[in-house]
Amino acid sequence: MEGPSNAESSSKDPVKDGWNPDINQDEAIIAQQRQIEKDIADSIKLVGDKMDLSFLLSEYPDEDDVYKNKIKSLLKKYHLLRRTRPDGNCFFRGFTFAYFEYLITDAQELDRFIDVSNKIKDDLIALGFPSFTIEDIHENFMNALNSLKTKEVSNEEQLLNLFNEQGTSDYLVVFMRLLTSGYLQKNQEFYSSFLDSGLTMKNFCSHEVEPLNKESDHIHIIALTSAIGVGVCINYLDRAQGDQVTVHYFPDNCDPKIYLLYRPGHYDILYLRKDDV
Amino acid sequence: MASMQKRLQRELKSIQTEPPPGVSINQNSVGSSLTQWIVDMEGASGTLYEGEKFQLQFKFSSKYPFDSPEVTFIGPNIPIHPHVYSNGHICLSILTEDWSPALSVQSVCLSIVSMLSSCTEKKRPPDNSLYVKTCSKNPKKTKWWYHDEKV
Repeated sequence: MEGPSNAESSSKDPVKDGWNPDINQDEAIIAQQRQIEKDIADSIKLVGDKMDLSFLLSEYPDEDDVYKNKIKSLLKKYHLLRRTRPDGNCFFRGFTFAYFEYLITDAQELDRFIDVSNKIKDDLIALGFPSFTIEDIHENFMNALNSLKTKEVSNEEQLLNLFNEQGTSDYLVVFMRLLTSGYLQKNQEFYSSFLDSGLTMKNFCSHEVEPLNKESDHIHIIALTSAIGVGVCINYLDRAQGDQVTVHYFPDNCDPKIYLLYRPGHYDILYLRKDDV
Repeated sequence: MASMQKRLQRELKSIQTEPPPGVSINQNSVGSSLTQWIVDMEGASGTLYEGEKFQLQFKFSSKYPFDSPEVTFIGPNIPIHPHVYSNGHICLSILTEDWSPALSVQSVCLSIVSMLSSCTEKKRPPDNSLYVKTCSKNPKKTKWWYHDEKV
């Protein structure tokens, strides 16, 4: 059985439920969702400017000791934060921005990553992704990488412009999503054990990895960092007991190039104190 | 906008040169802005739709390929299928929440051909009459519930 959800309304008593048959419920719900997305888009940039990390203290009430203590411990190691838009792509977009920011400073790593990205395109096509769309997405991704290589994009402001142009920015996110999907499918023998029973890796990837705006879980993070060989350190700020944030490295024991803050449902970028000049 | 037109131009060329079996682009339907196409489709031989001809309309927004295309059956013959409403709307997850920019007009056509080909009984969706009466003109404005992947 399947069908549009408004079919459910047919069994209800219109008077009792306040259901008005003249209003298209689906359209109303979708219009409201679009409005919420628009409000977020109008107020939060895809990738924002750096801000003083201590602003986090003002986001939680004074009597909230768990959060206050954890933020204080976080402040010892980090001092700046860069927000990303909470649109379901925050992990991929934040990770990619922070990595590109690093690539500006390391020409050798940039060359390595250009090679990796070219190889990934061939891998994806070999896995059965349609070559025509993969080439389109890869070409757009490489245009951005090459602009780092030619120094056309060589500072934070130019990088912010690149990542806040919606089309370009989404192409970058999509390429990272596809390479994550490709890595999971290539290594499905190992990763399938993390999925709910009955779900194939192919299905998981086409529902939860490849579409834009689907949120990321540990499995996305492990796969992405393993696929491109770039470590990330994630600081989990949540209500778990203790006065320190929980820290995880992906892959295990890596030397991270990227630092992220996770608050339930959302990732932002963190900057170490030692990087401060 | 520029990236959308570049991408659609490539897709158009690709579907003209290597159309999937039983699928062809209706050249006259494609305007210069490329935002609307009509694709002619034939029911595959050996299936319940053998010998039937259908037309699919594709509409693309300026956010394509990040935004999915709006795809409906149009014309005199709307296939009778448990996932196709009599107004031409199609219940198929890749047309809304499972859309990815790695998909294309070509892969949508292939999915629809395969959806038709695997059908074992020609019938309309059980809620067809209510849906057709109350739905929006744009199927992307329906909150679809995808319950099975069998057909």
